Amino acid sequence: MYLIFFLMIAFVVASAFVIDDDQPVKIVVPSNFPAPVYNLEKNKITQKGVELGRQLFYDGLLSIDGSTSCGSCHQQVSAFVQQDHDFSHGVENRIGRRNALPLANLIFSKSFFWDGGVFNLDLTPVNAIENEVEMGENLDHVLKKLNASLLYKARFKATYGVDSITTNLFLKSISQFLATMVSANSRYDKYVRKEGEVLNADELEGLNIFKDKCSTCHSSDLFTDGSFRNNGSTADFRFDKGRHEITLADADIGKFKVPSLRNVEFTGPYMHDGSLQSLEEVLEHYNSGMKASASLDPVFKKRDKPGISLDGNEKRKLVAFLKTLTDQEFLTNKKLSEF
Amino acid sequence: MNLKFNKMNAKIKSILLILTIGLLLGFTSKTDDTGNLTISFNHFFKGQKIDFTSEFVNSHDEKIKFSTLNYFISNIKLTKKDGTSYSIPQDSSYFLVKESEIQSKQLHLKNIPKGEYSGITFTVGVDSVRNTMDIARRTGALDVGGTAKGMYWIWNSGYIFFKMEGTSPSAPDQQKNKFAYHVGGFGGYNTKTINSIRTKEFETNGLMVSRDKNPVVAINVDLAGMFDAHTPIKIAERSTVMWGDISTKIADNYISCFKFFNLSYK
Repeated sequence: MYLIFFLMIAFVVASAFVIDDDQPVKIVVPSNFPAPVYNLEKNKITQKGVELGRQLFYDGLLSIDGSTSCGSCHQQVSAFVQQDHDFSHGVENRIGRRNALPLANLIFSKSFFWDGGVFNLDLTPVNAIENEVEMGENLDHVLKKLNASLLYKARFKATYGVDSITTNLFLKSISQFLATMVSANSRYDKYVRKEGEVLNADELEGLNIFKDKCSTCHSSDLFTDGSFRNNGSTADFRFDKGRHEITLADADIGKFKVPSLRNVEFTGPYMHDGSLQSLEEVLEHYNSGMKASASLDPVFKKRDKPGISLDGNEKRKLVAFLKTLTDQEFLTNKKLSEF
Repeated sequence: MNLKFNKMNAKIKSILLILTIGLLLGFTSKTDDTGNLTISFNHFFKGQKIDFTSEFVNSHDEKIKFSTLNYFISNIKLTKKDGTSYSIPQDSSYFLVKESEIQSKQLHLKNIPKGEYSGITFTVGVDSVRNTMDIARRTGALDVGGTAKGMYWIWNSGYIFFKMEGTSPSAPDQQKNKFAYHVGGFGGYNTKTINSIRTKEFETNGLMVSRDKNPVVAINVDLAGMFDAHTPIKIAERSTVMWGDISTKIADNYISCFKFFNLSYK
């Protein structure tokens, strides 16, 4: 009883010295975005917390052999996917079975990963940490390593006033960093927010084609409706049943998360299996390459052969438009980078 | 200077406030209105005490050696004859029982209002609210980076309610004769998924809680029923269950294994 009481006093005294000094960070919700899903009230974002989260994100200590950090498979130059990899490489060069998803605007997402198996941003890092083909570690062992590190003990003390690094504070720190990964300053954004940006004729026509033919799934300025759909990129689901692995519903076999298209110019290869290399290939896939199976999304069944008709001109204009979703500030923001 | 003084003042005020609360708590816990209760779990297989070295045989004639037996007990509620009940406060109502840790098989419940209780209800598993709660509230038995290590699905957010592992000659050679039953599923967050939450109620007539009595409710769990109570689970046919429609059937099997044994006083 009295131990708790003394700890409470110790906490009050410590917090008076530590937390008072820290600067809160306001996450600005872009005016063309919906409200965040992540509860920012339950994780007060501070400059120190974000900085600590960034350090953890880029630290191989989170993996079993020290070789692989979050940043290994989520590289800023390629909008936080692993460049030129269809499947991500983890510890001991083990290869995953899915293509890493880009990281951006995560606080606006209802679920995470291709199958949506994780619904709380705070728990997303554990998936990578404990996956045998990614970081191959155990969360409790990561916490032991952190608690044995004088550097991290000092950082957590300075950030939260604590002597022991807990699951909660470890995960909340990474979430603080992830929360700052907002990509909303592409040329397209500045155009729709009327900030003086002009799109050229091809880009504008591309935008109109996009609205007509793509925005059912890639909706809102997040460019995804967060749903799970089978887009015909494969009809072989023996080794990856997608959303079905979570819901166990037959109707969900072969459905995968509709990914955002922000910075799509740099996030290739594309699809959950990384099977398409370029934006041109992706558009041609929708035009002529679709593989039909039972759960193929109804939006692709509006003509005899499954797919969406796109002629050469339309594809060219769509690519021009998709490149306006490139956010140079995001890709080069020092606050998000490793060094 | 002045600002600093005010800050100091606020600090002293909050210290005094906590001091007062601390003292009050210290006094109230010493009153005669509450008592403790222990719930004790004992694991058997066809009446024989489970350990990790003996061999057991299930009703399908499959030989079994256990290596892991863990499950969550939560949402403990005590009921009275008059229909009223007392629920153990949420933040102290989650326990991870492990065969490998003797002390984990004794759940010590404190500060229970004194009186006679005629029944106990608890859940085997973790309710959906805790499964989806902010990580800050998932401490103790529910700490995914601590006590709950290995009892959480990272790829499919949710606690593993019940975990039984071991070896059997009936399990395939290529998986070194290992079998594993990991049962969970709280019903889903955005989408409906399997629900393996099971609740059990026992009569505990004559259970008296008061300051000078330390009642112990012993629950016997005979896990032979996990393989046959309602749905036959044959290791030869199904040696690994992680996440599947059969999970809920296994939950039906194991929940029926929990039986009231006796009531004693320490």
